[in-house]
Amino acid sequence: MKNDIILDFQNVTKRFPGVVALDEVTLQVERGEIHGLCGENGAGKSTLMKILSGVYSFGTYDGSILYEGKELKLESRAIRRANEAGIAIVYQELTLVSSMTVGENVYLGKEPRENGFINWNKLYSDTQKVLKKYNLDVEPQAIVGNLGVGKQQMVEIAKALAVDANVLILDEPTSALTEAETDQLMEIIRSLKAHGVTCIYISHKLDEFFRIADRMTILRDGKVVDTLPTSELSHEALVKMMVGREMHKRFPPSKRKPGDVIMEVEDLHATDPHDSNRMVLNRVTFDLRRGEILGIAGLMGSGRTELAMTLFGEYGKITQGRIVLDGEEIKPSAASYAIQKGLSLVPEDRKGQGLILIQSVRRNISLPNLRQFASFMRINRMAELQATMEQSRNLDIKAPSLEVLVNTLSGGNQQKVVIAKWLMSKPKVLIMDDPCRGVDVGAKFEIYKLMTELAEKGVSIIMTSSELEEVLGMCDRVLVMFEGRSNGLLDISEASQERIMALATGIAESAPAK
Amino acid sequence: MNLPNELLKQFRRNIQTYSIILALIVIWLLFGFLSKGAYLKPQNFSNLFRQMTVTSFLAIGMVLVIVTGNIDLSVGKAAGFISVMVAHLQYRVWHALIPGEALLAATLSVTIGILLGILWGIIEGYVISYQGIPAFIVTLGGLFIMRGAILIRTEGKTIPANQPYLETIAQGYLPADVSWIIAGVVIVFLFFNMFRSRRKKHEYGFELSSLAMDFSMTLFFSVLVGLYVFIVNKYQGIQLPVMLLLITAAILAYVSNNTRFGRYAYAIGGNREAARLSGINIRKSVFQVFVLMGFLTGVGGVVLASYVGYGTIAAGEGYELDAIAAAILGGTSPLGGEGTILGALIGALIMSSLTNGLQILNVAPGWQQLVKGLVLVLAVFADARLKRNR
Repeated sequence: MKNDIILDFQNVTKRFPGVVALDEVTLQVERGEIHGLCGENGAGKSTLMKILSGVYSFGTYDGSILYEGKELKLESRAIRRANEAGIAIVYQELTLVSSMTVGENVYLGKEPRENGFINWNKLYSDTQKVLKKYNLDVEPQAIVGNLGVGKQQMVEIAKALAVDANVLILDEPTSALTEAETDQLMEIIRSLKAHGVTCIYISHKLDEFFRIADRMTILRDGKVVDTLPTSELSHEALVKMMVGREMHKRFPPSKRKPGDVIMEVEDLHATDPHDSNRMVLNRVTFDLRRGEILGIAGLMGSGRTELAMTLFGEYGKITQGRIVLDGEEIKPSAASYAIQKGLSLVPEDRKGQGLILIQSVRRNISLPNLRQFASFMRINRMAELQATMEQSRNLDIKAPSLEVLVNTLSGGNQQKVVIAKWLMSKPKVLIMDDPCRGVDVGAKFEIYKLMTELAEKGVSIIMTSSELEEVLGMCDRVLVMFEGRSNGLLDISEASQERIMALATGIAESAPAK
Repeated sequence: MNLPNELLKQFRRNIQTYSIILALIVIWLLFGFLSKGAYLKPQNFSNLFRQMTVTSFLAIGMVLVIVTGNIDLSVGKAAGFISVMVAHLQYRVWHALIPGEALLAATLSVTIGILLGILWGIIEGYVISYQGIPAFIVTLGGLFIMRGAILIRTEGKTIPANQPYLETIAQGYLPADVSWIIAGVVIVFLFFNMFRSRRKKHEYGFELSSLAMDFSMTLFFSVLVGLYVFIVNKYQGIQLPVMLLLITAAILAYVSNNTRFGRYAYAIGGNREAARLSGINIRKSVFQVFVLMGFLTGVGGVVLASYVGYGTIAAGEGYELDAIAAAILGGTSPLGGEGTILGALIGALIMSSLTNGLQILNVAPGWQQLVKGLVLVLAVFADARLKRNR
């Protein structure tokens, strides 16, 4: 069993115009292990996996891959061939057809046929078998769109396994999962291992590696830094290898002193804009001080994002309660109103909500702020360019020029573009909905530093986050959400992971904060 | 950086625009060769541009409609209906109401034609943006409605439209000396604008491209303007409808880049959700785009009436498809968010160049359509290839 190599990458080099994405990557994956692959965004993880799964076909890269001792040559119809060879991938973004059933999705493109027609009975019974074998708790006949994200992830895995995969690549499978769902996924991965499936596991959440990976390969700038058993690694050592420098602190220090109250939210109730019977916010009360970073913690579905969006006037329909900003009662009903009143929102989904990927950095940054440069009808291009340049310089956005399309930038820089766009209106309150989602370690620290600097300058920040460590490391106070209501407002000195979780799961009830 | 390098860079950056211009030149040369020079004679060249005007008015509006992620299938028949209404007014109404007042009659016809277009845009835009019915369905319905309205109004008969003044709109020419003056003014403006923008950039402290570069680009466009006027002057001078079209297109191109209205349209098509969260009133923007489309339909309808000289039951038939094809040929993305007015103009010119060329070569109408269809698909195919390899 020992040293039984299933996959052997030898000097794999992949070049894109102007960039070497992979530089002589050599690494071995042992049969039946869970192999962690980590590195910052742009380190080459995804490129390597795209080569393995056939997205980049044989011949578009140098070097070779030995699979089961034989060279893997995926030429024409490479993705299909990789699949048939037993290499399957579960992508970061879900790739399911939401209007179809679980079974239809699992066998999409490889439906069992009889006389040219789909054999539905076989399809569903086969699906059932796969689901059962790996303890995936989903109904084969359920419509995928009706399932939660966690269950959808299971379908995604079942789909990969339905082809009898020997090697399963999991590319950031937990990025949209709650902690409970993550736990469940870890269980599933362990059971895959028990069935002899080799897993390559990619994630941004480092603690997950320590939970399940047997060995790890760290990539940096397209090169392999090292491959080590996870047991020989510490959290700090791992981060250091990833970023190539010592990271003493994950969060920047700050000497800020929050001032007087700038915003008060009292007894806020709101309903789903498409369904007035469904309450999304159910009694939310808190206050925000000048120059404070207020964290909003809570499980998925607790109303974190809904609260952020409702404050910005773009989601819930407010049915009760009041919001007072800087002494004036506001009734957010549209983004334009909120912006005018001094609110800004960095939305949760950078690509879907924050950016126009096919437009330039300049156009993205200036979009909500065009009024600043418009006299009657005309936009003053020069003033626009100057202001965007200034923002870009302040935030240290790394782009060849302001005229390049944002989809050519890295995730961290894209997020900076979103932040720049929302700082240009000089907001009093900046709402950031999970600002570091999908951002690599180095860029994360820069964003944290930026937030700290803003708070020191007197901007109040409301930050939602799915990572408790981030909330504890960054915030002055934490508002915990549970089932659409505020279930406690903790000062950072009295907050701990346990305390927040107790409130977030409703185990502990808190008297409404003062 | 030396000049050739800089020019090459400029070319690469706008490869899409330049490649369709190149395609256009190839088409001209090819037809010129096949027709033994008849195609490139001043008279034909002049007609070529005149033939594209009605579709072009529709195509430049269609760009913005498609950019916002919508479509307007009714523009052809709506323009047709407006041409019929203009003919009806000219031939039947004004004769009875204001006999002998040809100028007033023409002015009223034009005004009413354009107002009808705007009204149509308001109705469609309202139903699409404020009632949330998909544009495809609303404008498909609109197509049938307008087709019906034409039949009702004409009662199946052809209405003569042209009296003095109205016919000048699509059939008039500017005298040669006036044409040269206009060319001169445009060229002076191009240079003035170049120096002004350089000065502005300098004031704001931005990096300037080299003077040689800017100068040669401006010179190139000036030569084009001069060459165009030189050729059309050999026939009858600048064609009035082309002049109208170019002025409208220039204004629209400016608006699409330099006003909030234009920027918002592109933002909505690029990412509706991001646009909404940026505080853009999507309904209002889409509504405005359809009203603008209506205005251009109105103008197109008036020009059509004047161009054909009649209001006929077949007026505007299929023009919406020509307009969409022109926009797509010119690089407008059918998914929204991308597209330029200049591109649509060149696209329309390619379409009319093909039609005209095939007609000169006496190719049967069936084959003409077939070739146009192939060119459209091939152009998009080549463009997709080009993008992938970039």
